[in-house]
Order: sequence, then C-alpha cells, then structure tokens
Amino acid sequence: MAADVPETVTAALADRQVEGQVCLEAGAGVGNTTAGLLAAGAKRVYAVTNDADHAATVRERVGDGSADRLVVVEADLRATPLATDSVDLVTAHGLCNVLPPADLDAVAAELTRVAKSDGRLVVDDYAVPPADAAVTRLFALENAAARVVDGRPALAFYPPAVLAAVFADHGWAIERKATLLDPVPWTEAHLNAHADVVREYAATLPDSLGEPLAAMAEDLVAAIGSERAGTMYSLAFRLGDV
Amino acid sequence: METRALGDTGQESTVLTFGSIALNWLEQEGANQMVELVLDHGVNHFDVAPTYGDAELKLGPKLRQYREDIFLGCKTQEREYEGAARKIDRSLDRLGIDTIDLYQIHGLEYEEELDTITADGGALDAIREAKAAGKIDHIGLTSHGDPDLILDAIDRIDDLETVMFPLNPVVAGKDDSEYDYEAVLERCESEGIGTLGIKAFAKGSWPSTDELAEADRPYANWYEPVDTPEAIRERFDFAAAQGLDTVVSPGDPKLVKMVLDAASRFEGMDEARQRSLIEEVRHDDSPVPEQLHH
Ligand SMILES: C[S@@+](CC[C@H](N)C(=O)[O-])C[C@H]1O[C@@H](n2cnc3c(N)ncnc32)[C@H](O)[C@@H]1O
Repeated sequence: MAADVPETVTAALADRQVEGQVCLEAGAGVGNTTAGLLAAGAKRVYAVTNDADHAATVRERVGDGSADRLVVVEADLRATPLATDSVDLVTAHGLCNVLPPADLDAVAAELTRVAKSDGRLVVDDYAVPPADAAVTRLFALENAAARVVDGRPALAFYPPAVLAAVFADHGWAIERKATLLDPVPWTEAHLNAHADVVREYAATLPDSLGEPLAAMAEDLVAAIGSERAGTMYSLAFRLGDV
Repeated sequence: METRALGDTGQESTVLTFGSIALNWLEQEGANQMVELVLDHGVNHFDVAPTYGDAELKLGPKLRQYREDIFLGCKTQEREYEGAARKIDRSLDRLGIDTIDLYQIHGLEYEEELDTITADGGALDAIREAKAAGKIDHIGLTSHGDPDLILDAIDRIDDLETVMFPLNPVVAGKDDSEYDYEAVLERCESEGIGTLGIKAFAKGSWPSTDELAEADRPYANWYEPVDTPEAIRERFDFAAAQGLDTVVSPGDPKLVKMVLDAASRFEGMDEARQRSLIEEVRHDDSPVPEQLHH
C-alpha cells in the first residue's frame, strides 16, 4: 500500500479486531483510517464522507490495489444508506471535533443503528487544547468565521469523558482509553489547512468582512509558525450489555 | 549511562556509541580532550573507520591509554579478500592496537556487493581469517541501503553479530519497504544480532550546493542535523526508545557534548510522545493534500 498510515491510526487499531471485519470509517477525510483498516486486513471498508473532494481523494489514494474491499460512500453520517446491524467495526478518527453537539448525537445514533449487536467502535479525537496554546486563537477565529457564515461553529473539542458519555447513551460500553499523541504537533501544514477553512468562509462574505478575517488567519499562522499543544486520545467501545 | 546487551556478542554497550569521525576535525590535543569527555560520560563503545580522514590516528593515543574501557568498532568498504585483509592490518596499525572488537562491512548498498563479499575470495574470507587469527572479535555490517538487502545479508552471513542502520522519526513514519528498518530491528532482536542506530539526529538533506556551498555548511555531517539541546535530546530519546542497542553520535564535534548530555539523562520516551515526533515530520514531504488532522 502506497499510503503511509499515520502512527495515530495504527496505534488506535493495534488492539482491535480488524482482520475479516466489515468496517465503517465515519468521516473519511483524506483516508488515513481507511488505509489503516485495509492494511490491517478489513474484509470491507465503507468510507463515508459528505465531501465530494474527500471522497475522490480517498478513492484515488487508497483505492489502488484494494478497490474490491473499499466502498466510498458520499452521504451524511446522520442518515447513511447502510443497512441496520451490518457493521462489525466503526471508526471515527478526528471526526467528532468537526461535529457541533447537535450533530454529534444524531451521528452517534446512526452509527449505533448500522453497527451489529456485538459491534465495536473506535473514537479518536483531540482533548480540549490548553487555554494558553496559541493554536486556540486560530481555532477561535475559525469558529467565529463559521458562526458568521453558517450560524454554527466549525470545531468542537470534546473531553474524552464527554464523548464516552454521548456514546454510552446509545448503548456503547467503553473498553479502553489510550493517548495517541502527547503533545499534538500542529505543523505549518496543519495550521495552513485551518487558515484555508477561514479563507473559504471569508470568500462567501462581503469583502469588508471577509478580507480582515482572511488577513487575521494569515497573520496568526505566521505568528504561530508551528506549535506542540494538547493531546489526542482514543476510546474503544463495544455495543451491548455494560 | 544506561548499558544494553549488544545482541549476543557478550558486550554490554552504553546506549550511546561515540562516532569517532568527530575527531577528524580536531587537532590531536582537542581529540584527546574529546575522548576524555566521552569517557567521563561513561561511554564504552566507540566506532571509527579508515575513511574518516585522520580519525583512526587521532583516536589512537587515548584508545591505547584506555584500551580496556573501550569496545571498538571499525569498518571496511572493501568488498574483496585482498583489500579487506590489507585494510584490517592498516587500521590495526593506525590505531596502534592488536585487536578490533567489532569489524563491520561498511555501507552495503547493492545486491552484487553482497555477492562479492560472500563469494570465495570475498571480504568475508579475510574478515573470518582475521577473526581466527585474533585480530578481530566480532563481525558486523553497516548499511543505509534497502532494508530488504540487509535482511538478505543477515540470511547469508551466518556469523553476523551486529548491524548498523538508520532510524529516526522520518524513517519510522514511512511505510514503504524501502524505509522499513523496523523490520530489520525486529529480525535482529529475534536472532540476537546487535543493533546500532545512525542518522538519529538527521533533520534533512543539505540544500543543493548551488544554494549552499559545501564549504559554507555549518556542520560536518553529511546531512543537516538538529542542533538545539532540546531537539537533540528528543531525537536521542526517540532512537533509544525504538529498541536499538545503541545510538551512534553525529559526526560533527560541536554536537557531541549535547548528545552526551542527552544520553546521560535518557529515561525512555512514552509512545504518545514518539508518535508525536513521527507525526510532526510525516507531513514534511507528504503527497497527501493538506489536512486538518493527525
Ligand atoms: C477531518 S476528517 C477525519 C479524518 C479521517 N477520519 C482520516 O482518518 O483521515 C472529517 C471528515 O468528516 C466528514 N464529515 C463531517 N461531518 C460529516 C457529516 N455530517 N456527514 C458525513 N461526513 C461528515 C468531513 O467531510 C471529512 O471528510
């Protein structure tokens, strides 16, 4: 497989049964976890995203050589076309931080619906970044831009206990918690990707509003450069009797 | 300083090996002081090669003074009997000692070289002969080449006791087989072969000579090294935490003190931190579109 699977993904899957399993990668992004699941011998991976560019990237980057085991699905995670009780292992790697609380619960309900009665779930995400971390200023700007445009924030960092509680409400029992990254390296590439999100929001606004927003994002990225801050964690659940 | 068994050689090496190439850039007096400094930190494993300018000659005086305290690795780039036999005697002569503890086939890069080395009249014949004659104690290999080739060498050289290869967060983050030195590490562990890590402190390649003339490089290393105490400590801890028996210090004498310091303070590195270092550099030349997440 050509795609480099990040260590975060490998570590999160290391103690999970992946081989021979039907998997659902919720929020496929650029396909890191999809690649990890396929490399670990998944029988089939449904890679779900609502972003057409992401879907194309995953197909192109990961589809090579495992096309028969990969199904890229363009759908909303609150209502997927997947059958009830059909998935052995659900993964949500870096998904929840892009889901505002209202969506989070709806997505949790849908993931629970498609999971088999003895299904497993892995949720990897960022802890709330420390208040004194410079990256929080960029994230705050991103959320401000999102609120102006969409009326909702773009990013939501949930403490592990909160995500554990949300999924517990849907019948998921926690099996283990692990730290994937400590600290999280926010590289120039990551910061630029966040600044790009701000620029996209800014582009939809009148220049008088959009231009200063974009300029602020640019200044912040230049000022921060790169930063190590916060942690990324992994929660593993199983469905059924607690 | 922590020591670890160097495979099944019976040698307990410090987790830092002194790359004696650093002596090449020092006058004799400075070289003597550097060896004293290295020994003061408890380092007991030194590595040298005839191709490192005057390093063998400059190491000689202190090596002879402290012969019992130093496990010495040396190497040869010769692939055939005659050349290797001559190089062993030459190194013994230049170092002024009777026995080299570890003699390594240096810089293996191509399958054909391995054929030559292991064939009748190859370098291995000379090295084995020298071993039988008591001129060397153990046989090793060094390579920054294809991990598959190293595995092949392990298969084909029964009496191989150590392997030296690159390991750092950049290498560790790549999945392609051409960077899979972790497979080498695993194999060595399962076969009792000692492991020495190089390039632990590499930050990247130097800019092209058009941009930066060789003479204008600030360090003597053949790659651009990390050079702050924090970064050096982090890179050392990372390499030592991968399970290598020992990590070789970088070639530039200006970095040695910082590396000695890092090795003396080594206390392991937890896995979340190791992954953090890998993730940080994984994006350096990633073909993947810019992404928000790790
Ligand atoms: C940052 S990515 C996650 C990274 C990815 N899991 C990986 O391993 O590379 C988040 C993904 O979730 C998708 N997403 C966010 N909200 C969604 C929703 N409501 N329905 C479907 N996909 C969604 C985004 O389009 C994006 O592809």
